[in-house]
Amino acid sequence: MKSIAVAILVVLVVIVLVMALISFQVRQTESALVTTFGKATRQITEPGLYFRWPPPIQQIYKFDSRLRVFEADLTETTTKGAVPIIVNTYVVWKIADPNKFLNSVGSTSAAEVKLHSQMNETQSNVIGQYSFSEFVNSDPKKIRIQEIQDKMLSSLQNSVREAYGMEVKALGIKQLKISADVSKDVFNRMRGERNTITEKTIAEGKAEAVAIRTQADAQKTELLAAAQARAKAIMGQGDAEAAKYYEMLQADPELAMFLRDVEVLPEILKDRSTYIINTDKDPFSLLREMPNLQPKK
Amino acid sequence: MANENIKNTGQQKSPPPAETDAGARSISEALKISFLILKLIMIALVIFFLASGFKTIKTDERAIILRFGKIHGRGEARILKPRTWPYWVFPYPVDQFIKIPVEKTIDLNVDSFWYFQTEEEKLSSEKKKVPPDVPLNPLIDGYSLTRSEPYAENLRASGDSDYNILHSRWKLICQISDPESFFKNVFTQDIKSGEKYIDVIKRDLTNLLTDVVDSSVVTAMVNYTIDEAFEKGGTVSEHVKNLVQKQFDQMESGIRVVSVQRIDVTWPLQVDDAFQASISASQAKQTEINDARNYAQNTLNETAGPVAAELAAALHNKDANDAYLESLWSALAGKCREIISQAGAYRMKVVSDASANANYLTQILPEYQKRPQLVVQAIYKNAIAKILTKADEKILIEPAKSDKGSVIYIKVNRDPKLVNKPKEKTQE
Repeated sequence: MKSIAVAILVVLVVIVLVMALISFQVRQTESALVTTFGKATRQITEPGLYFRWPPPIQQIYKFDSRLRVFEADLTETTTKGAVPIIVNTYVVWKIADPNKFLNSVGSTSAAEVKLHSQMNETQSNVIGQYSFSEFVNSDPKKIRIQEIQDKMLSSLQNSVREAYGMEVKALGIKQLKISADVSKDVFNRMRGERNTITEKTIAEGKAEAVAIRTQADAQKTELLAAAQARAKAIMGQGDAEAAKYYEMLQADPELAMFLRDVEVLPEILKDRSTYIINTDKDPFSLLREMPNLQPKK
Repeated sequence: MANENIKNTGQQKSPPPAETDAGARSISEALKISFLILKLIMIALVIFFLASGFKTIKTDERAIILRFGKIHGRGEARILKPRTWPYWVFPYPVDQFIKIPVEKTIDLNVDSFWYFQTEEEKLSSEKKKVPPDVPLNPLIDGYSLTRSEPYAENLRASGDSDYNILHSRWKLICQISDPESFFKNVFTQDIKSGEKYIDVIKRDLTNLLTDVVDSSVVTAMVNYTIDEAFEKGGTVSEHVKNLVQKQFDQMESGIRVVSVQRIDVTWPLQVDDAFQASISASQAKQTEINDARNYAQNTLNETAGPVAAELAAALHNKDANDAYLESLWSALAGKCREIISQAGAYRMKVVSDASANANYLTQILPEYQKRPQLVVQAIYKNAIAKILTKADEKILIEPAKSDKGSVIYIKVNRDPKLVNKPKEKTQE
């Protein structure tokens, strides 16, 4: 019984050792290249368990196939029209063809050297095809910065895939700058623009304020006119209602007018009046002499 | 047994010494114990080996199993979620259990577009002062370009200078939304003992995330004027966020952008004076407009009260119905109310006067018809008395006795009240 257990253990150990010699794993994040006597014989891009001949017959080279980021240096180049521009570009890349990568590049650090050179070339070629006003423009429709980056990506993808077995997944301009001297000119222009805006703002404020005041005054005039028209209508109604009583005055119009005169005259003369009166008029005749009154028989 | 052997061989052998028996026995015992211990160790190792396959997932994590290096499972089952009982996987090298933090956010501050500051300046709360003629150094000063206002074109000497300069600082908050894509595609170093995967992710992703944000800011900002960049901060941030997400999707990174925040923004310090003047002008404009609005409000209130503006609008509106207009008229206040009230008072007075006069005539008429002269004279004299009582001046003239008559000159002031005014003392 014991010997069977020992035998199973030994067999298991042997199987493990043999498997370790003749198999290998490729992780989900990796790709691999199998060489037989130094010659690349199999390229593996799918993860899983694979078999091999033990060394020195076959060698396994594994590559991390996940995305890596590489930043180029800040570089001065020229746009179409020879306007100097300073750009800094980054790329996100991965190993797509292990065989080509191993043969033409070999390592990640060497790959970055190649990428740097290719990026400079691509950057220079593509940016040279566009004028500066296509990077930034007062008319947004003329801005083609996304197109420029897409074109750089496409150009770089083609060149590094074929030559180095690398796939560039993304590219972006991470800095877009101008030279120090040009920045001074920009400041002068910005100052000019801002002064114009300042003056415009002040003028707009005054114009708007005048418009508001004028409108208010116009509304005031309109409202007063409307109120006066309405008042006139009310007064007219009053006069019309009063006219109904005039019929009663028809009983003796002469007396009615006399009474009306007697009513309004004191009102008219109630203020600031000087009277020059002859004393032969009543009742001032009393001032001249005593009246000669006789009882009526 | 030993005796049989002696017999069979016919040789007499001396029995083994007692010390040798004891030694062999003790070796045998020791070996037995050793084998027992070894057996126990092996059983313990097997138990430990099997127990090491039990794995748990925290609520903020998801997990994937790599079986011989390949993600195990199909469809949604490839991503393992937290549950109340542990998962069991074959120990390495068959399976690998990879836990990925999905709920934890990765926060990243991006200062690539900010002007250069010394450590001392960073700690200071005061704004840095820079003379107007100091240029930006492209190697150390960060900034982005923004487009110019279209109306500013006539200010330019050349047609290719359609831009301004802006400094900004950003904050990216993102998290892993697709653990499988993230694990498969995004490079991170292997986790060392004592390290947390989220810390490794934060460390290894800094460059990638910064570059993606930088590129998105450069691409977005050229579409906005410097004023838009200030006023429409939310729109610009959303634009940048969309561009960042687009790049992450393009890389199949499995990263989701939670937010992109612009945490600071300023114009170049070299043009600070001009921008401050512009801000002051905006404030002055607003003050002037507010003053005008106050004036308008007061004017309309004094004219017609709170309904003034509404009534003014209704007067121009041909479709305004009478009931609505009447409701506005009834709510009127101010000068207009005064005019209407006076008209109302006039109406009442004129009607009541007419009524009173008619009644008076009706009452007096019978007596007048009997004694007209006396009634008229009485009324007349009462009226004259009333008038003269209130007169400011009364001048009585004795009529001339001769036939020729006489001429009297009286200086009458236009305003009789002025006669009573004391003369102003003249300075001697």
